Amino acid sequence: MRKLKSIIQYECITSFKYIWIFYAIQYAAVSLITLIIGISMGSFEEVGTNALEMNTVIYVGILGALGLKEDFKMLIQNGFTRKYIFIATFSMFCFISGSMALVDTAAGNIIHHFNNGYSSLYGGLYGYENIVMNWLWLFLVYVMVCSMLYIGILVINKAGKALSIYLGAAAGGIVLLIIALFRYVFSAGTVSNILGFFAKAMGFMTDGTINYLFPILTLLLVIAALGSGSYAVIRRTELR
Amino acid sequence: MNAIQIKNVTKRYQDVTALDNVSFTFEHGKIYGFLGRNGAGKSTLINIIANRIFTDEGEVLVDDMTARENMDVHEKVFCMSEEDLYADGIKVKDHFKWIDRFYDSFDRKKAFEIAERFGLNTDKKFKQLSKGYQSIFKLTIAMALNVPYVIFDEPVLGLDANHRELFYDLLLREYENNERTIIIATHLIEEVANLIEEVVLIDKGKVLLQENVENLLKTGYSVSGMANNVDAYCSGKNVIGYDELGGMKIAYVLGEKSPAPQGSGVQLSAMNLQKLFVKLTEKGGN
Repeated sequence: MRKLKSIIQYECITSFKYIWIFYAIQYAAVSLITLIIGISMGSFEEVGTNALEMNTVIYVGILGALGLKEDFKMLIQNGFTRKYIFIATFSMFCFISGSMALVDTAAGNIIHHFNNGYSSLYGGLYGYENIVMNWLWLFLVYVMVCSMLYIGILVINKAGKALSIYLGAAAGGIVLLIIALFRYVFSAGTVSNILGFFAKAMGFMTDGTINYLFPILTLLLVIAALGSGSYAVIRRTELR
Repeated sequence: MNAIQIKNVTKRYQDVTALDNVSFTFEHGKIYGFLGRNGAGKSTLINIIANRIFTDEGEVLVDDMTARENMDVHEKVFCMSEEDLYADGIKVKDHFKWIDRFYDSFDRKKAFEIAERFGLNTDKKFKQLSKGYQSIFKLTIAMALNVPYVIFDEPVLGLDANHRELFYDLLLREYENNERTIIIATHLIEEVANLIEEVVLIDKGKVLLQENVENLLKTGYSVSGMANNVDAYCSGKNVIGYDELGGMKIAYVLGEKSPAPQGSGVQLSAMNLQKLFVKLTEKGGN
């Protein structure tokens, strides 16, 4: 357990310092843009932004994509097994996502409190009543994005360049096929049922109420699937 | 059994067989020279021992435990590799700090001492180091780790002559103070010839020989003289190669050295390890 703790600490500590650089740049950019637009328009009344969490989504996506590149090499050089590397990487995803979700939940609610015109990602969808669920939902969304990019990079690394291009083309084809199915094959009733199912999975019930637990369970399920897939791939990953 | 056992290991890359049913043992408490030409399969085997890549067939055992995905061998084997696998944005001293946390057997104080001997600036990030100092950083870690099996894959890459001497000196002292298995994969054969006890020679994915260096040098010798005299002496002997210049010929022979008969016109001389290596691997189909 001591060795597992050390590798988790390595992953978390070496990634954590970049969070503050990210937030510093994000809020500096928002302030600067607000200032420029406000000055050029002569008024700050119409200046505003929403869902700053989307920037974090991009950041954690990059984190997920880079999860393999340097750390895998470094940790395999230090004799760790792929199981340990996977656990450490996922722990880092959770740690970074949890920390950033905390900052974003606080920032989103504070900004909304002082400026009703600002809408956070979670607040815009589910409202501002439950801060804990707000954090949990954001945390899971961030972990899901990390996991999605992580498995993507693992598959690309495993498959190689040529096969990855074919896989990418196949994935694009599947997306087009699904769109075609929805537009030309499925009946209006079927489409409505499918959309209703996904809406329910994200907590939007047919009677107009919101179930806060469903999106949590859905996200957990998706993360579990992506995590299992990542583990299955990393178990067979060789150093290139 | 205290050893690294390579058992029937085969590794293929598409249509290239990098290792072909390789079996041998690195015993505990010896310094090995792991030699082979470029592409012979040395790094492939080292990477398999270090669990960086997997075998297609066969297995590697470290003290009777599988080397594949096994944290129980974490404190047993360390491989200093030719490739740069360390995070390049981390300072040398911070690398030492992390490795100290990763390994129970890492002596951080010793790492700083070795770094100082080499003049390695521990405040620099890995990427800021020259190629030579990157090698020094990697071998510093390997020497500061007190594990039973240490593998050096091209340890002196980019090092100047003074640093290479210092490395060999430190390595021997380390071995004297704390006997363990040291495996050195290198192309600078003559530099390690006085260091290694046993040699494993690999060529085209197969082990050509595993032999004690002293015995090997006793059984290898060169025969020089006029071509017809050399051919006459070498008849029936295990000749591993020839060099010819005009009418003169040098034959390289492996086997019991029989004295040259008086008036045979040939001279017998000892053969060095590098020449032996060159001739053995040439014979393998150059």
